[in-house]
Amino acid sequence: MSEIRDPRLDTLVARTLRWGAYAAFMVLAATLLIAPFVEVGTASQLYRAGVLVMMATPGLRVLIALLVFLREHDYKYSLVAGGVLLILLLGSVFRIGEH
Amino acid sequence: MSLGHELVLLIVGFVAGIIGALAGVGGGIIITPLLALYFGIPLPQAIGTSLIAVITTSTASSSVHVQRHVTDIKLGLTLELATALGAAIAAYYAVYANRTFIALLFSCFMLYSAYTLISRLWKTRRDNNQGRQIPAYNPKRYPLGLAASLVAGGMSGLLGIGGGPIKVPVMYIFMEVPLMVATATSNFMIGVTAAASAFVYFRRGDVLPAVAGPLVVGVFLGSILGAKAAPKVHQKYVMILLAVIMLYLAAQMTIRALAGRIA
Repeated sequence: MSEIRDPRLDTLVARTLRWGAYAAFMVLAATLLIAPFVEVGTASQLYRAGVLVMMATPGLRVLIALLVFLREHDYKYSLVAGGVLLILLLGSVFRIGEH
Repeated sequence: MSLGHELVLLIVGFVAGIIGALAGVGGGIIITPLLALYFGIPLPQAIGTSLIAVITTSTASSSVHVQRHVTDIKLGLTLELATALGAAIAAYYAVYANRTFIALLFSCFMLYSAYTLISRLWKTRRDNNQGRQIPAYNPKRYPLGLAASLVAGGMSGLLGIGGGPIKVPVMYIFMEVPLMVATATSNFMIGVTAAASAFVYFRRGDVLPAVAGPLVVGVFLGSILGAKAAPKVHQKYVMILLAVIMLYLAAQMTIRALAGRIA
């Protein structure tokens, strides 16, 4: 192994991914079912919300990893996780590079 | 979008999810050309929408791999620095890229992926003979791994794929990471890589939520069914089927690109 596996980190990351995927799936599946009975605009907004939940899930698991590393005073990997999160935030929240 | 279209997208996502889970690929390599060739969706929007399906496959399957302690989270996070950066930069500049060039590059990548799939079939058979235990390892040649990850991220941002066919061989051959760990870690990284470029495509309006919605539902259900069916299915036939599909789509995409019929 590259490092001794941290079972707590594995469990937290796995749960974040699972819950994020299920949440997005539930929103999108519900929208698919109700789409024929609601206005097009409403269905579009719900699809948009489900897609955004799915897109945010990988970033959320990086945040969880960062918090675990900080709590364990593992500054090397805190920096790595922070760097990944920064790249995601630069493209999504701060809109750097937008044309 | 009509109910009929949504059902077709659901089925496409479901089939891509099953094949992806059985063959260990993200699904983007099938979904992008299908959307562009058969749904008449312009290539940038097909790529942006496909990225959401790629995130879904990665998120659903890596939650299982992480829980089984097969994924090397620290190695994955380190390489994600390069993949996410490559993906975000490529997504920013994809808008300036010539569509014929992107279509031809995609065709080349499909040919390469078909080749790696067949060669992995041979390696998987050899590894199965060695048992399912993860041997002790220490990843080597990080600079090379980071450089390859930057390229894989760039390809992901440009083509709407996961980039596994680049990352897995590099981790396995050059970084000396066991194949099982390399595959699970690559799958884990795909979510962040695809998200880095998906946000850029989304802001530009190149993610179609009404198309992505049914696709994601199908991919999610297909991935779960595929993962459950995996032990009972002959992986060899799935990989051969996927390789044949990729060769067919690569030929179709090349013909249309050269004829200038890519939207």
